[in-house]
Amino acid sequence: MRKVWLVLKREYGTRVRTKGFVIGTLALPVLVVALLAFSVFMAERTASQPVKLAILDEAGGLAQAVAAGLNQKLPNGQPAFRIVDVLEGPVGAEAEQGLSTKVQQGELDAYILLPPDAVQSGRAEFRAGTAGDFSMLHDVTAAVNSALIARRLRDRGIHLEDLRNVVRGAEVKLVKVSKEGVAEEKGQTFVIAMAVPMILYTTLLIYGVITMRSVLEEKTTRTVEVLVSSIRPSQLLAGKILGVAAVGFTQYLIWMGCAGLVAGYGRAMAVVVRPGVSLPSLHLPLSLLVYTVIFFLGGYFLYSALYAAVGAAVSSESDAQQMQWPVTLPLVLSVVMFVYVLREPNTTPVVILSEIPFFAPILMLVRIAAHRPPFWQIGLSIGLLAVTTMGVVRLAARIYRVGLLMYGKRPSLAEVIRWFRYA
Amino acid sequence: MTDALTVDNVTKRYDTVTAVDHLSFRVPQGSIFGLLGPNGAGKTTTLRMIMRILVPDEGSILIMGQPLTDRSQHLAGYLPEERGLYPRMTVRSVLVFLGALKGLSEAEAERRARAWLERFQLGEWSEKKVIDLSKGMQQKVQFIAAVLHEPSLLILDEPFTGLDPVNTVAVKDIMLELRARGTTVILSTHRMEQVEMMCDAICLINAGRSVLQGELRAIKQAYGKNTLRIEYSGDDGFLNQSTLIQSVNRYGGMVEARLRPGADPQEILKAAVGKGARITRFELVEPPLNDIFIEKVSEGSGHAAADRKGRRFVGLPD
Repeated sequence: MRKVWLVLKREYGTRVRTKGFVIGTLALPVLVVALLAFSVFMAERTASQPVKLAILDEAGGLAQAVAAGLNQKLPNGQPAFRIVDVLEGPVGAEAEQGLSTKVQQGELDAYILLPPDAVQSGRAEFRAGTAGDFSMLHDVTAAVNSALIARRLRDRGIHLEDLRNVVRGAEVKLVKVSKEGVAEEKGQTFVIAMAVPMILYTTLLIYGVITMRSVLEEKTTRTVEVLVSSIRPSQLLAGKILGVAAVGFTQYLIWMGCAGLVAGYGRAMAVVVRPGVSLPSLHLPLSLLVYTVIFFLGGYFLYSALYAAVGAAVSSESDAQQMQWPVTLPLVLSVVMFVYVLREPNTTPVVILSEIPFFAPILMLVRIAAHRPPFWQIGLSIGLLAVTTMGVVRLAARIYRVGLLMYGKRPSLAEVIRWFRYA
Repeated sequence: MTDALTVDNVTKRYDTVTAVDHLSFRVPQGSIFGLLGPNGAGKTTTLRMIMRILVPDEGSILIMGQPLTDRSQHLAGYLPEERGLYPRMTVRSVLVFLGALKGLSEAEAERRARAWLERFQLGEWSEKKVIDLSKGMQQKVQFIAAVLHEPSLLILDEPFTGLDPVNTVAVKDIMLELRARGTTVILSTHRMEQVEMMCDAICLINAGRSVLQGELRAIKQAYGKNTLRIEYSGDDGFLNQSTLIQSVNRYGGMVEARLRPGADPQEILKAAVGKGARITRFELVEPPLNDIFIEKVSEGSGHAAADRKGRRFVGLPD
């Protein structure tokens, strides 16, 4: 046992101290914080000042309605548009020029030109100093649009208000029903149900390949021969898998810690610094985090055993690349089936798929995040995963024992099966 | 005194090849023993079985009279033929790790590692990565890893590879010193001159079988003094005496000539002087081990050594 611990310590120590680990671990929290800060910043930025607007209404009788339609508010409470000047009726080119000059000089940000035939033709112009802001155009178009429609209706004797009541659309809110209660869904569950399993997939893949490389390195550097003169192959394999698992586990702990910090302090800080800004509420239940760790460990032991077997079977990095595809395949398939599972988390085929041990870590986690399945389904998948993992580890250990001192051409799958029987 | 090592009728088969075939030999405690043989003879397989990396299919191996167990791995130190250290670890941490695997506490392993590194003049390299060391230095570090836990049985497979003459002498001296302290050393090498200088007894194996074994002195004496070592300059025509001389090995200004049974060396001396060659050394010696090796190995070569390498697999025991 002490020997397994020594190998574990070495694997853990040499990996945790590399630049790769530090960067990889920090990358995720930094990315998340950057995204949050960016979204706050963007919300801030678009909400600086009201747009100074003038209306040149050559058609007449429209300006008031247009001004009423421009009643949007900025996130900080101020009005989005301030109508500085209204000119009604036919005015000369001079007045037009005057407005244009004011825009050029910055007194005005823009002005709306409604030509004499606006009601019939529907045409108007939004003359702005900067050409880039389409959201502004959208608001202006909406205001002009409703003013024109109201005028046309009035000309036909219909009141706009009556018509509005008739055609008012329904507003259907999406609300998530869960054990924790009923909470309005702004898409964050979807984001989590995608993000968390993707993180799991990425780490399973990365740590599996790390295990494979570790085994292969000991073969190519011939360290393995010295090692097995002091320790049993099964002890070496166990120490290695556990050591790399410990590295992954450490990384997850750090991430969870950061998530906790961001959730706790981040929101408080954002509210203090920029009052009025509303952040999407991140509903990260503790049980989801716990399940993530469980499925990471289960999935890791399963896949790393297989990856270790691949590493033991080959003698070079290029052979390893080629031989690893049957192991990577179920992981990739899980990701492919992802979206389908997300959309229909409870249909029978999906339930069955999420119980299969090779897909369970990712698919079951997607289901847990999207729509918590009954506990017996979760428990069953964990149980199946555990049993399969134990079997796979034994199989991999046999291949490991034979492959460790074998060098040369990449063995065919048939040959590897012979090894397994032989051991 | 019990033998340090007893190999008794050991056989090991790989998938289709019998690598070691009913091999037996004994190694007395405190001796230096040479395990010799051509490539593919089964030397490495035998050494691996002694280190319990592989397990014999038949026969038994005893270390200090005890059958092999996991603990036996602690009794023996192993220097494999291919250099194997973690390239990106520091010299010190590799030694501490390997020492700890052999049962030392990490503190003790560190102490001893430091002392050995000093001894080999590698003290200032202790914090460097293994990959930064030259081949010769790495070989020395590997040697230290093998002796760190003060094993009673030391198994060295081609320990002199990559060592320049100075380092070769250093390693040789340390081996002799270890022997003087009671360590038993098993040496597997192709360098016959090393074997001649150091080994008390040898076992020569070919195609998995022992073809010659025993005390080195006795073996050579059994051949008798039938080789002439001649250093000379000038005409070497005197060597064309097929009635007297069986074979000749030329080494530049030196020649080793194997005499036919019953030949009189004085005839050759007369011939040499007669042809005008200037003789600086004329010595009657036992045949060099190199010649004995070649002779013994050629005798039995029905099985080409090449057949015995290649794709065969064997599982490590668990």
